[in-house]
Amino acid sequence: MTWLVWRLHRTQLYIAAALLAALTVLLLVTGLQMASHYHSALAACGASHSCATLASTLFLGSHTIGFLVIMTVGVPALFGLFWGAPLVASELETGTSQFAWMQSVTRKRWLAVTAGEMMLAAAVWGGAVSALVTWWSGPDNALQLDQFKPGRFDIMGIVPVGYALFAMALGLCAGALLRRSVPALAVTLAGFIVVRAVVTIWLRPHYMSAITVTYKLFSPFTPTGSYWQLAQGVLNPAGRVVPAPNGLAIDGVPIGSLPAACASAADGVRPTASCRQALAAFHGFITYQPASRYWAFQGIEFGIFAALAALLIAVTAMVVLRRDV
Amino acid sequence: MIEVQAVPEAAAAIRTSGLGKRYGRVCALSDCTITVPEGRISALIGPNGAGKTTLLRLLAGLTRPTYGEMTVNGGIPRQEPAFLASIGFLAQEIPLYRRLSAEDHIQAGAHLNPCWDGESVRERLTALTIPLDRAVGTLSGGQRSQVALALTLAKRPRLLLLDEPVAALDPLARRNFLALLTDAVAAGGLTVVMSSHLVADLERVCDHIIMLAASRVQLCGDIEELLAEHQMLVGPRKDTSAIERDHRVVQVTRTPRQVTMFVRRCGPVVDPAFQASDISLEELVLAYMGQDAPPALAQLTSIGDDQ
Amino acid sequence: MNGRSGDQVISFRVDGRSVAPPYLQIVQQVKQALRMGVLDVGDKLPTVREVVAATAINPNTVLKAYRDLERDGLVEARAGHGTFVRHRPPGPPPGTHSRLGRSLARWVAEARAAGLDDESMESLLRVALRAETEEEIA
Repeated sequence: MTWLVWRLHRTQLYIAAALLAALTVLLLVTGLQMASHYHSALAACGASHSCATLASTLFLGSHTIGFLVIMTVGVPALFGLFWGAPLVASELETGTSQFAWMQSVTRKRWLAVTAGEMMLAAAVWGGAVSALVTWWSGPDNALQLDQFKPGRFDIMGIVPVGYALFAMALGLCAGALLRRSVPALAVTLAGFIVVRAVVTIWLRPHYMSAITVTYKLFSPFTPTGSYWQLAQGVLNPAGRVVPAPNGLAIDGVPIGSLPAACASAADGVRPTASCRQALAAFHGFITYQPASRYWAFQGIEFGIFAALAALLIAVTAMVVLRRDV
Repeated sequence: MIEVQAVPEAAAAIRTSGLGKRYGRVCALSDCTITVPEGRISALIGPNGAGKTTLLRLLAGLTRPTYGEMTVNGGIPRQEPAFLASIGFLAQEIPLYRRLSAEDHIQAGAHLNPCWDGESVRERLTALTIPLDRAVGTLSGGQRSQVALALTLAKRPRLLLLDEPVAALDPLARRNFLALLTDAVAAGGLTVVMSSHLVADLERVCDHIIMLAASRVQLCGDIEELLAEHQMLVGPRKDTSAIERDHRVVQVTRTPRQVTMFVRRCGPVVDPAFQASDISLEELVLAYMGQDAPPALAQLTSIGDDQ
Repeated sequence: MNGRSGDQVISFRVDGRSVAPPYLQIVQQVKQALRMGVLDVGDKLPTVREVVAATAINPNTVLKAYRDLERDGLVEARAGHGTFVRHRPPGPPPGTHSRLGRSLARWVAEARAAGLDDESMESLLRVALRAETEEEIA
């Protein structure tokens, strides 16, 4: 059965291997360049004691490669579209599934080997791309500390493997239910985008309760490392969030929310002592997920998508094994 | 009620009892009770929509029955390698991978089947000058049918189920296909159930018949015995109640002067006014089909048209 | 598939349109071959597989025909070797057939000159055969 799966899909696997090889070469070369650029910049700023501003002055790599790396977020979807959706759908559509089923292969074994091996391939490929991107982003992550943010979180670590498994399972399930390649493709793409968006926007921020820290406006608090900022702003003495300053602010408090004591200060006059005292009752706040939770979040998100994949595979199995041909 | 010939338990390749299949509201097959002895080449005849494909798929285990029982090769059709290895099913749409060559399919078969005779496929196809290394999708319909049949035979099944295998073939391809099939049966140990519309071919090749019409079994038995049991009686128009009482009248045609009756005899017909003549397989089939649904007559191809 | 006789002495032809069932056609063709001298005592009949390959008929049909011939004493089956001709069917030697055939051809020419078509000739023959059978019974 393995022979047949290989023979049927070897062109696809060759193409994927070629693309992976090209990506590897590209990222290896540019990654090494970026690493050496970074290290020499570090050495230079160390000598001139200007490392604090390095993040905003140093740009590593090129815009094109950077864009390509960001686009690897779509790689799992590609697996789902090109490997997952047609796998079962085209066999049911053209009736070729009957060939294997009439060659002494039970439907269970057919599905297990076909789906299992292609999903494994997708996981391995997805993992390889993710490993490459993670390594390549090393200097950038050290510099910008933004690997926890959406967009970067999704292309590094272990979550891309979870996405790949999910996309494949979604494609297989859509193919088994719809029995036609093109509708299965459409459903897979739409489903993948919707689920990823829902998880990223509404679920991920709440995997663990976010930490909120309030601080005096004079001494803002910045969490260490690559934290993920969820919200930031100013609280009035009553504890309500004040609209963000989009214009003038005095000591961090926007003009529109100034207390009565600072009415004169709004016109440009230097704040009085009583105004200053009133302002001291205002606080700043930041809600964030600390950097230490990065791998926990990776694990949780991977678990969610792996569980979804398992559920979809179960549905696929039920449909294929029980349905009349 | 159809009288199915009594066959000893061990010798039946197929035995069904009250088999039925419903798809939602539509009844594809109802109350199907048939027996096919081993070693027969059985013709499955019926108009489109009569349930032929459904019956074949039920016997192959591709579809599960809504009710009823069946025994195929001594066991119940189920998803297990031993059963799957003992039957061969050739669907009407010839399920081969169009981008793979015949040789690829032979190798696939070797990997998938416990018992596989790939050499026989190569021999048969080479004898028919069908290329082994070209993609199957580039071959003609007749050549694809031959490849599919050769592959199905290579797994050495005990029962072969063919769904309209020669429908789209030209006369030469059809002859080659049937020669390949009969040769495999001559080699021994094979029972065949073949659905088709072409009565001429079936007469040549088949010795058993299962007739379906309106999703029900109309006839099931050895062709020779059925032909011997039926007669066409032609005589002057008169009272026929005696004959109708003693024998089973399948079809009656009356003109002002003459009456023609197609009967299934229970004993000899003694009325001297009637002239009895033997009937052909085509007449038998048409008479039983004409019972239920006259439009079904248009579905059959008569003898000679395709020769 | 057609015209492939190999080392067979006789090749069969099964006509789907004939009134006679396939097995009877084979029996008749063997008997005819014996009468005409094409098959002789000791000759081996084609194997079941050879006949089936050439005519695409049911193997049981061939078996049945050979069994009929064996019952009539014309052939005998030797296990593992095949089926061989044992006796010629009772009847006049091959020469008689050619002689009668020629005189029949003359009669046909005469009948046609008189204006009879094929069907009239056939029904004359049938009447004559039946009359002869009734005479024999009487």
